[in-house]
Amino acid sequence: MKYIKEHIMFIFPMLAILLGIESFIVFDRMSQNYEQELKADYSMLVLANTSMDLAAFKQLDGSISAIDSIEKRSIVEEMVQGMSGISAEDIMQALPHFYTVHLGNYLDTQAIEQIKNRLVASENIKKVETFDKSHNASYNLFVFIKIVLWTFVGFMTLTSLFLVIKQMEIWQYSHKERMQVMEIFGASTMLKSGILFKRATIDAIIATMITSGLFAFLRFIWVHKSNIEMLMQKEALLFAYKDIAILGGIAMLIVVTSVIMVVVGSKENKL
Amino acid sequence: MANIISASHLTLGYSNNDADIIKNANFKIKKGDFVFITGPSGSGKSTLLRSFYGQLKPKSGNLLVGAQDMNKISKKKLQELRTHFGIIFQDYKLINEWSVAKNVVLPLIIAGYNTDVQETQAKRLLKHVKLSEHADRLPLELSGGEQQRIGVARALAKNPTLILADEPTGNLDEYSSNVIWDLMENANEQLDATVVVVTHRIPNIFSIPYRHLIIENKGIYEVH
Repeated sequence: MKYIKEHIMFIFPMLAILLGIESFIVFDRMSQNYEQELKADYSMLVLANTSMDLAAFKQLDGSISAIDSIEKRSIVEEMVQGMSGISAEDIMQALPHFYTVHLGNYLDTQAIEQIKNRLVASENIKKVETFDKSHNASYNLFVFIKIVLWTFVGFMTLTSLFLVIKQMEIWQYSHKERMQVMEIFGASTMLKSGILFKRATIDAIIATMITSGLFAFLRFIWVHKSNIEMLMQKEALLFAYKDIAILGGIAMLIVVTSVIMVVVGSKENKL
Repeated sequence: MANIISASHLTLGYSNNDADIIKNANFKIKKGDFVFITGPSGSGKSTLLRSFYGQLKPKSGNLLVGAQDMNKISKKKLQELRTHFGIIFQDYKLINEWSVAKNVVLPLIIAGYNTDVQETQAKRLLKHVKLSEHADRLPLELSGGEQQRIGVARALAKNPTLILADEPTGNLDEYSSNVIWDLMENANEQLDATVVVVTHRIPNIFSIPYRHLIIENKGIYEVH
């Protein structure tokens, strides 16, 4: 019973840390995906006097990643139908070139304003429309969600770290005498801490498996049962197999740190 | 006979600022000796014993244990040296979450013996100290006398060249004390182990020759 209790006392805070970290990984993946979508959806409208290619735009501002020329011939031809004495070619020559400009990063309105200023400064650019009102609303919502999630995950990780430290103190107390006795009989540091290391490693593996299992359940079972379309489309973001390696690595790092702290704290003194 | 412990002008204390506990002591303990070290409470008996197993370094003077200079001994050498010792404590210092059998073979576990050897030795040692029926129990389920017999069995597990005992019968009744003294006499006679016992009183019934060192006014003197 005592043995099981000792394991649970370490597994619980470790679980809390790993759940916090996995939540952070998932939220980060989701926010990156959301950022990608926002970035892909966002574009500026640029009116240029002469034809321009991507390199010409990049020369004006490096954050521009792609351009699309807006086809105007079909619209103009449709307009001039039924109008006498007006040639489509004349209108085409009088009209500027229209481009939708995509950015490499998802930027705030201030940065977009700077890009606009750099573009407008060119003699070849006639007008730039940034649609900054709708962009700003999306961007602010995105930043707000990110801050809320990071605060939550940060708080959760911090609280769990305190629990692990507390548990290490208990370990230190309960293993101190055993390690000191072993040292008196000539045991090496590896042998003294071996039992502790083995126990903590088992706990780390259990905590990693539980955390990975929980998120795998969310991805492969819960999402499909939930019938929430948005989640079903994004199910891959909820769990990736590489997360197991990340969680395992972090759990082992916590174990090694914990054991070193216990071993250092139980240095031989007066028995 | 070769010296197993040799002290010259040995001074011991817990820090340079604290008063000396043992001062300018000179003595030798030969291989195969059975030595009692006595003295009043607080005279430094346990401190002296700690210096033998390297838990306390001399403040000044020389202390050789085996061939090792305890002033200069490295951590690795000290570890190795300690595997040749059997140490018995007044408060037993058993590992309470381990079974009696596992406690007894601790020196064998440290030396890396396989489990078959450990099991065979545990049976032999527990039979020797008359605790065979308690092999799988935990130390705290046994009486003080029985726990100290586990401590003695543990000290004998790897046929030590030197047995250091700190008030081994201090907490025991007369019957249990006599059992412990018998075991230590046997270790000295049959295993040819050097035995150093720190105690405040030498037992009345003791059947083998022994030496007696006494600590008085921070010095160590031989009683003839």
